[in-house]
Amino acid sequence: MILSPGTKPYDPSGLDNLGYGKYPNVVTSDGFERILSAGGPYFGHVMRPLDREEPKSIAWLQCVGSRDTNTCGNGYCSSVCCMYAVKEAMIAKEHIHGDLDCVVFNMDMRTFGKDYEKYFLRARDKEGVRFEKARVHTITEDTETGDLNIKYADETGEMKEETFSMVVLSVGMTIPDSAVELAKKLGIDLNHYNFAKSDPFKPVETSKSGIYTCGVFQGPKDIPGSVTEASAAACLAGADLSESRGIDTPVVEVPEQKDIAGDDPRIGVFVCNCGINIGGVVDVPAVQEYAATLPNVVFADSNLFTCSQDTQEKIKEMIIDHNLNRVVVASCSPKTHEAMFMETLEACGLNRYLFEMANIRNQNSWIHSKTPEIATKKAKDLVRMAVARSTTLKPLNEKVITVNQSALVIGGGIAGMNSALNLGKQGFEVVLVEKDDVLGGMSLNLHHTIEGNAVRPYIEQLIEEVNAHEKVEVLTGAKVSAFGGYKGNFTTEVITGQDGEKRSIDHGAIVVATGAKEYKPTEYLYGEDDRVVTQVELGNILEEKGAADLDTVVMIQCVGSRNDEMQECSRICCQNAVKNALHIKKLNPDAQVFVLYRDIRTYGLMEDFYKEARELGVIFMRFDKDAPPEVAAGKDGLSISVKDHIMQQNVSIEADMLVLSAGMRAENTDELSGVMKLNRNPEGYFMEAHVKLRPVDMPGEGIFLCGTAHAPKLISETISQAQAAASRATTFLANSEIKLSAITAKVDVDHCVKCLTCVRSCPFQVPTFNTEEKVLEIDEAMCHGCGVCACVCPRQTIQLSFYEDDQLSCKIDALMAGGI
Amino acid sequence: MAEAAIKLGGKKKSIFMDKVKEILPQGNLSLCLTCGLCSSGCPATGLESMDPRKFLRMVALGMDDEILASDWPWCCTMCQRCVRVCPMQIDIPQLIFNIRKARPREDRPKGIRDSCDAAMKTETLSAMGTSVEDFIFVVEDVLEEYQESQPEFADMQAPIDKKGAEFFLNQNSREPVTEPDEMVPLWKILHLAGADWTYGSKAWTGENYCLFIADTDNWEKITRAQAAMTTELGCKTYLNTE
Ligand SMILES: Cc1cc2nc3c(=O)[nH]c(=O)nc-3n(C[C@H](O)[C@H](O)[C@H](O)COP(=O)(O)OP(=O)(O)OC[C@H]3O[C@@H](n4cnc5c(N)ncnc54)[C@H](O)[C@@H]3O)c2cc1C
Ligand code: SF4
Ligand code: SF4
Ligand code: SF4
Ligand code: SF4
Ligand code: SF4
Repeated sequence: MILSPGTKPYDPSGLDNLGYGKYPNVVTSDGFERILSAGGPYFGHVMRPLDREEPKSIAWLQCVGSRDTNTCGNGYCSSVCCMYAVKEAMIAKEHIHGDLDCVVFNMDMRTFGKDYEKYFLRARDKEGVRFEKARVHTITEDTETGDLNIKYADETGEMKEETFSMVVLSVGMTIPDSAVELAKKLGIDLNHYNFAKSDPFKPVETSKSGIYTCGVFQGPKDIPGSVTEASAAACLAGADLSESRGIDTPVVEVPEQKDIAGDDPRIGVFVCNCGINIGGVVDVPAVQEYAATLPNVVFADSNLFTCSQDTQEKIKEMIIDHNLNRVVVASCSPKTHEAMFMETLEACGLNRYLFEMANIRNQNSWIHSKTPEIATKKAKDLVRMAVARSTTLKPLNEKVITVNQSALVIGGGIAGMNSALNLGKQGFEVVLVEKDDVLGGMSLNLHHTIEGNAVRPYIEQLIEEVNAHEKVEVLTGAKVSAFGGYKGNFTTEVITGQDGEKRSIDHGAIVVATGAKEYKPTEYLYGEDDRVVTQVELGNILEEKGAADLDTVVMIQCVGSRNDEMQECSRICCQNAVKNALHIKKLNPDAQVFVLYRDIRTYGLMEDFYKEARELGVIFMRFDKDAPPEVAAGKDGLSISVKDHIMQQNVSIEADMLVLSAGMRAENTDELSGVMKLNRNPEGYFMEAHVKLRPVDMPGEGIFLCGTAHAPKLISETISQAQAAASRATTFLANSEIKLSAITAKVDVDHCVKCLTCVRSCPFQVPTFNTEEKVLEIDEAMCHGCGVCACVCPRQTIQLSFYEDDQLSCKIDALMAGGI
Repeated sequence: MAEAAIKLGGKKKSIFMDKVKEILPQGNLSLCLTCGLCSSGCPATGLESMDPRKFLRMVALGMDDEILASDWPWCCTMCQRCVRVCPMQIDIPQLIFNIRKARPREDRPKGIRDSCDAAMKTETLSAMGTSVEDFIFVVEDVLEEYQESQPEFADMQAPIDKKGAEFFLNQNSREPVTEPDEMVPLWKILHLAGADWTYGSKAWTGENYCLFIADTDNWEKITRAQAAMTTELGCKTYLNTE
């Protein structure tokens, strides 16, 4: 059983000082999302509720219903609201073409996810969103204008007053009562905030075996994190059931394909009303009537919802009754619906590629809603173009290839080991390749998680399990030296041992888990003075020597992160500082600890530990990027100067030790990514196929990604991502055969002049020059069908099936034929 | 920056905050997030170039000499606007009270101190030193004037020492002396509402300057005298107008 009952936005009506529910122009962030949405109350036009005027200025108030044990009792950070506030400000600015002032009032901007800091900087430095380190006590309304007045003390203590057209309350996430009840019924434990209790080493397991959890119910998190955990939960549930996988699967019977060779085109056109989405603007009967008059059209119809199950049956009937051999649907986007209609064709023996769509909704009725006549005319044009193209379509056959049902995992840290182990549990053979002589990776340097769980015993047990698993073969001291093949059929050459023994491994899927390291600082006297150490080194010192001899410790955050050289946030170092500060305080309550920070990013449930650290007397001081602390070494100690953000006065701290919160740096994978042709971002982290929807898939099919090789993250997050990668790889490997898309590039070797423009242009390095045969080759199995080569070939000798030149140019001709 | 740097670090010293922690175990001052919500809503922000967050910061940083020397604690109105919204529910007015108390009584602001002392000298507890007889005279005189000049209030009463009345109403000391007419609107409201109320001839004072001067003993004496008078008259509810 997988529990993902999700979240409910915090309801701020109880906070009378903010006026939500009383002043119409004070909205919650989820309310504002609706205002921004094309499907929302104002159809995406940004207006304020009171008078439907476009706002001139909007303020966001952060941490409403989060990080507060007084007014709401939610002591945790909701993790997502800083990022969505930045996003909402950016979108609002985009929608309102005039000037819009956006101000985000915050304590800390917590943009800690992959590429989030860059987005935040763009909002601040390029788009002019203002971020004010201040909080607003009370909102009052100007009863005449409906504007909202805000007074706040800025960081220097000066009172400021501003007026905004709208205020958005960035409300946090809470667990709905219904989820609490459900948990009670099932007998699973919840934590003190009602999130499902879990262990950092078993992030998606609840207190009851066989019941898994994911998403916000597990702890506050964003979409990529939730999607990842969903796959992780599926992985564990799937492993429990792996023996019965493939049993009882209903098989879809596909009738034999009709041969249409030599037949004249017989086109059926189905025009959709999409409820009122299209029909409310476009004169659908007129379009249907018009379609019937077009060449080769033998049948035309219209439907309320063309995508409904009933309509599929109707289309099938019409295909048979009218002996149709081309189908055109004029409705919405092929992105979302093409595959489904193609299946309908297949189900009555028509090749799926004899299908074409005209998008008369997204590209027509939605944008021309104020001019129905023009919209109807454009719908006719689009249908005429689609009909013209459908005439040129040919049946295409999809190649079926076998899948080698085994995997290669690269990297033997927590991520690699967890994904290998879980793939083994799912019943697949796995080879785990680790370049070092031992398994464990970065985690070998860590002692405890912030929750206090010991890392070493966990790692030792994991290594033991991996080594003992019959399906997993571990190669340590191993290096990937050559690579070839395509999804389902890769071959990787690995060099092992001192004598450099070569071994070739065939496998169907790949999991990349090459990890990351601690940044080696060059700043703040690191390496020059041995009283200056990193957080990881401090962890070792505390473990070995304790903290009895420490009077004062200063920590500096964001060392090697969030600067010009490395813009991104390293995500782990704020919690690391808090973790070690707590450790010091627990070992020696008299030791004084100062943390010099830029934003404290103890997101999610880790906010409790930030609170505990303050409670025990750890002092946190904020500094600006442009005024970093200064460090001087003396005989008896170090002296650290910085300006206190509240006193606005210089502070000089005498310390025994300076600890640098050195960030993370991706492992050097230049060689590996060169050999395997895997894309990385400028920071050296590997890229996922889609940030939100496919967070553990890589762009190439059959290749998956997890751990810090993807981006900085904690052990618990690494584990769930590794389980997710195993789950995604399982989905891929579970089929013994896969069908390849027929949309691939084909080169006419007779006319190819061997200029190799395609070789240089293909983003996936597919076209190769066969030096023996002296011909250019494009491997169908590897081609992604992007069409780049077909566009750049100066001799036009490359054609992309389904999008051949004449299959596109005929549309332009048809458009022109209508006159403009 | 011209100001000398604040010196921190070295061996841990005992600071004022540690003492306050002992007195106030429930409200941990070091929990402050330096978020500034308190300062944004505090009527005393900006006075003496100070605000509640900054003041608390000095306490947290152990700037004991500066906090004891600062006059800002005497600007705080004890209104609790800060505590109400503080995400950590930090009781700044409690802290302020303890800091006021930490000053020798003779060094506390003379105006407030004199008002407390004056109250302790009469049975009425009035900070203006008004006697029982003067209070009764003023109330009766003003009442009579309104009963005559405003016929619709001819029946209005302003009872003193009425036994068994529902409400015991207290009175700010300033009004009977400097602006007696200001007492009347509330009488009118109570009259129109048909409320059964009374003043006390003694301990009728509404304000408590001994609280503001952090004179705990006299603060307690005033409060006890107010309660005793209410009980003596058998009133059920003490209506506080301050
Ligand atoms: C400074 C720092 C502090 C941290 N503090 C904490 C903390 O307090 N709490 C917490 O929960 N998490 C913390 N983390 C995060 C934690 O270390 C990671 O989440 C976790 O270890 C990541 O595991 P991994 O397997 O993805 O990567 P790694 O542990 O880095 O493992 C990757 C493995 O891949 C191998 N490898 C690399 N390239 C190749 C190749 N080409 N071929 C074969 N093998 C290869 C490496 O040798 C390594 O063994 C911290 C990380 C850092 C850097
Ligand atoms: S700090 Fe946390 S709770 Fe506050 S707005 Fe940002 S993400 Fe939300
Ligand atoms: S210390 Fe690390 S986690 Fe904290 S803000 Fe800086 S880079 Fe991010
Ligand atoms: S269609 Fe795209 S992926 Fe295929 S060979 Fe051409 S450029 Fe490469
Ligand atoms: S109680 Fe004092 S510090 Fe708090 S808001 Fe009122 S005046 Fe300011
Ligand atoms: S509101 Fe509370 S947490 Fe925020 S600055 Fe004031 S005292 Fe500190």
